[in-house]
Amino acid sequence: MRQLRILFSLGIVWALIGQAAGAAAGLFLVRAIRAAANLPPSAEAELVIAAMFSVFGSLLFSGVLTDWLKWCVGIETPLRHGDPDGLPAWTRYFSVDYNHKVIGIQYGVTSIIVLLVGGILAIIFRLELSWPGEQFLTPESYNTIFSAHGIIMIASILLGVGAMVNYLVPMMIGASDMAFPRLNAFSYWIAIPSAILIMAGMVIGDGWETGWVGYPPLSTIDGSPLGTQLFILGFYFNGFSSIAGAINLLVTVMIMRAKGMSLWRMPIFVWAAIATSLIQFTATQTVGAAQLMVTTQRVLKLGFFDPTFSNGLGWPAGDPILYQHLFWFYSHPVVYVFVLPGLGIISELLPVYSRKPLFGYKWVALSSLGIALVGFLVWAHHMFTSGMADVLRIPFMLATLLVAIPTGVKFFSWVGTIWGGKVTFETPMLFVLGAISVFLIGGLTGPILGTIPTDLHLHDSYWVVGHFHATMFGGFVFPFFAAIYYWYPKITGHMYNERLGKIHFWLMTPGFWLMSLGQMQVGIWGMRRRIYDYDPALGIEFTHALITLSALIIGWSVLIMIYNLITSSRTERVAAINPWGSRSPEWQVPSPLPEFNYYRPFEVVGEPYDYGVPGSVYVRDVPAAGD
Amino acid sequence: MSAAATHHDQAHDHADEHGHAHVPTYLETLRANRLGLWLFCISEVFLFVALIVVRFALWGNTRPELDQALGLATTSVLLISSYFMVRAEVAIAHGDRDKFLNSLLVTFVLGVLFLVGVVGFEWGLFGITFGDHELLKPTDGAFGAVFFGMTGIHALHVVSGLFLILMVYINGRRGGYSTERHWGVEACAIYWHYVDVVWVFFYPILYLIGTPVH
Amino acid sequence: MNYKRHLVIASALVVPVTVIAYFLIAISYKLPFQGSAEAVKIDVMMQAHFVLIAFLFSLVAVLMLYGLVVFRRREGDDGDGDHIHGNTTLEILWTVVPLILVIGFGIWGVNLLNELTDAEAKPNQLLVHVQGQRWSWNFSYPELGVNAPANERAMVREVDDPNDSNNIDLILPVNRPIVLEMVSIDVLHSFWVPEFRVKQDLVPGQTTYLRFTPTAVGNYKLGCAEICGGRHAYMMATVRVVSEACFDQLVVQQLPLAEADASCQYEAMPNYPDSAK
Repeated sequence: MRQLRILFSLGIVWALIGQAAGAAAGLFLVRAIRAAANLPPSAEAELVIAAMFSVFGSLLFSGVLTDWLKWCVGIETPLRHGDPDGLPAWTRYFSVDYNHKVIGIQYGVTSIIVLLVGGILAIIFRLELSWPGEQFLTPESYNTIFSAHGIIMIASILLGVGAMVNYLVPMMIGASDMAFPRLNAFSYWIAIPSAILIMAGMVIGDGWETGWVGYPPLSTIDGSPLGTQLFILGFYFNGFSSIAGAINLLVTVMIMRAKGMSLWRMPIFVWAAIATSLIQFTATQTVGAAQLMVTTQRVLKLGFFDPTFSNGLGWPAGDPILYQHLFWFYSHPVVYVFVLPGLGIISELLPVYSRKPLFGYKWVALSSLGIALVGFLVWAHHMFTSGMADVLRIPFMLATLLVAIPTGVKFFSWVGTIWGGKVTFETPMLFVLGAISVFLIGGLTGPILGTIPTDLHLHDSYWVVGHFHATMFGGFVFPFFAAIYYWYPKITGHMYNERLGKIHFWLMTPGFWLMSLGQMQVGIWGMRRRIYDYDPALGIEFTHALITLSALIIGWSVLIMIYNLITSSRTERVAAINPWGSRSPEWQVPSPLPEFNYYRPFEVVGEPYDYGVPGSVYVRDVPAAGD
Repeated sequence: MSAAATHHDQAHDHADEHGHAHVPTYLETLRANRLGLWLFCISEVFLFVALIVVRFALWGNTRPELDQALGLATTSVLLISSYFMVRAEVAIAHGDRDKFLNSLLVTFVLGVLFLVGVVGFEWGLFGITFGDHELLKPTDGAFGAVFFGMTGIHALHVVSGLFLILMVYINGRRGGYSTERHWGVEACAIYWHYVDVVWVFFYPILYLIGTPVH
Repeated sequence: MNYKRHLVIASALVVPVTVIAYFLIAISYKLPFQGSAEAVKIDVMMQAHFVLIAFLFSLVAVLMLYGLVVFRRREGDDGDGDHIHGNTTLEILWTVVPLILVIGFGIWGVNLLNELTDAEAKPNQLLVHVQGQRWSWNFSYPELGVNAPANERAMVREVDDPNDSNNIDLILPVNRPIVLEMVSIDVLHSFWVPEFRVKQDLVPGQTTYLRFTPTAVGNYKLGCAEICGGRHAYMMATVRVVSEACFDQLVVQQLPLAEADASCQYEAMPNYPDSAK
């Protein structure tokens, strides 16, 4: 009985019920209206309205809107915080909670779960590609699975970025929470139904086959599977999460920094979070517009991207390439949303394990902003072979190459940080080094795609697949894992298992090198992207088998990490307050942190990374006037 | 919000166990809210600019035949509604509740009139035309798509603005705002003016620029 | 700590490592056969990129690994490292040098691109019409009055390759500049023959062009490089680059394949994906 009561107190359970109820309500509503108006039933319209209602139902039932709805009718609501009354403490992690650390953990755990789903999909289609010929998938199911792998991994990365930014930024700047705690919870709770929509797209309505980019006309043409629509709406609603989260973060950093924390004294990760949020709260709107246009084209036949229209009066038709511009105006900068926080983690952790200041703090900070800003001017390099106007190709090629410069600053600064230090190699540091090595591969294989003549060969080949997997792993996955291991003692109060952590690293890193370098090799030899089967005459069978093998190794190594994280909080020793000897404020107080992060407000009195200066401190408690 | 007061008391009770909660004052909260709203407005600029870019990419130097009188009328109605919104905000700042509520009501009615003009007449929901041209249909290629897309997205913002005005009106009648504390009114006003300014760009872009194609 | 000495040693190590790295790249990432004049020019740039990749990889990897080994914490040493905040000269150096490199590659890229896409009509050039649809290719020669889909003869080959279900071959004369005029009737497709190095999407509602000059007789594989639905992987065709004489027999005169010269037969020509490695 009690178990049942606890189960039905959980926000996540209600979110799922609400999503189902919303979907049913939407479906019923459309059927009823169309029946009343004597219209034929339309699966497409039913699906769109059901999906929209399902998101709203999920939000409503989970309880994340409750406070706002009360405000609408003039009821004031105190900000709820602390453990829930009459329920076990763990239940707050499964319900709407306004504490940024709880939300951070919710983001993180969801990210890893979604990562596993995406990883399983990857392994399924990697097995299909191990040998030429048809294995066990149909071409259509292959298309659905690789498309879902792409977008689900992106959802996972966005959740992971949300986890790091939410958990770390308020803690690092000495705030007790984010500026808008309810909006913060909203950002998380809308990501859940949108992720579910995307996954539902795989099973409802024959999946979809457009890849994660969803280019029209393939995504809008008559007879394209209904799953496409669910994927597009899931993508769209996930944008709300990005925009709300980014605005929240920017306001938090602008007004809630501790006393004395000037911009140049912020931990470097905060700079990365700012750069990330600047991209997220602006560019996301354009891809939202694009997805809405695709939806209206599918449902209401608005011909934004339909080139076939003609009424004999010379009225203009739509343009499929326009979608690509709108899409990449977001989707290129968003790549920097994925990697900038990770690069921030690298810059944050290297000084701690090298016992030396971050080399060129201001340059590293500005390089994040530089990457973010240049990132807005390079989107069309995804379209060098698309048939867009020739005059556009050249400026975009030059702008694209410029990205190399701030990225280079980061690499050289990392080397400069290590030189002259006293380096140790705990698991987080290993992952930081792994990240640098992998991101180096990803970064160096970029300029060859940036110069158009060479891109004409490599575009839409597996070279691109290898390149972006290296940037994603080096810029996000490795640093994310480093961050998890690094802050694990702060989050749980226990140490992780160092041996398992090292096994994880030594499986995953060589596995990844093999996978990524192999993908680039088959690409340069002529392997096209997004194909279900390949011509054995290309001579790429052996490499493909190796890629599949390394994907399996990576998969197993992540399982080891998850086992480590789950068991260590019970079996491993209690961690010291500051096991890494960090200068950052969160490590100066016992773990785990209290509800409002610090027992006393602190003020910043030194530089964040002044390792090697005896007696210098970064923060100290503000002397209380009353005490 | 004024919820801060309650929050403050609770935070003090738990100070030892939960650590130090920085309890924002009304002014600090106001500052955060203002920043947040303006960032939201900047964010939305990207949506509207995307739509404008789509219009220029697809229509180029052409435009469909639209009802000029209706366009001018709806635009004027929306601009006048902004004046009454300013009047409402000034009124509450001076503590004149009746004027505040009346002005808000006028704003609301004008907003509804705008919707009737654009959605009711221009979209052809009522099936009435004033000029000699045929009504544009959503399926009319890029003309239909862009016109219905832009006015549709804008209408969604007007509807949400009307919802906000209604909310502020209801809370205002209950005495929810004071001369010093009326962030709700301010937010509503900023949003309404913002939606209005967007239309100031949309109107010439849809109705005036380019040569009409029959 | 004598940084100068370490820097000299590490920099000296970068040179041999660069050579080894370039050697490894050159054998692991051997480019496909050069089947067009464009491939020769593009490959020069590819190799330049490879050299740059090898050098930058070695630079960062050697400095990093050297640093990790030399500046590792020794047993029993609990102190911090040197208190070095940064070095403006170095920062400017590693901003400006890459900038120069980037500008150099940019100018090279612009010039080469202009050369590749030069729309000016060349003497002797051949216009070929390419139509993409899900999931096959059609080819015709508007200037020669040869309409492939209607043609039952030379261009239509018995399907003998499971990876090439397209029964119409694209037949091109060797050493003549080719202009492909490409349209799609349904969704996006992309024309890619790896041996030619160039690629262009086919876009419904507009005509796109691809220019190249095949330089070696043989059978090549054309594949669609833009996802176009279920059988995207199998949207392939054979491109047969033949001598001018064979082109005359097979396309201009439309001789049935059996009557054409033996050297023009499919089996008589090298298959490039096979012989590439």
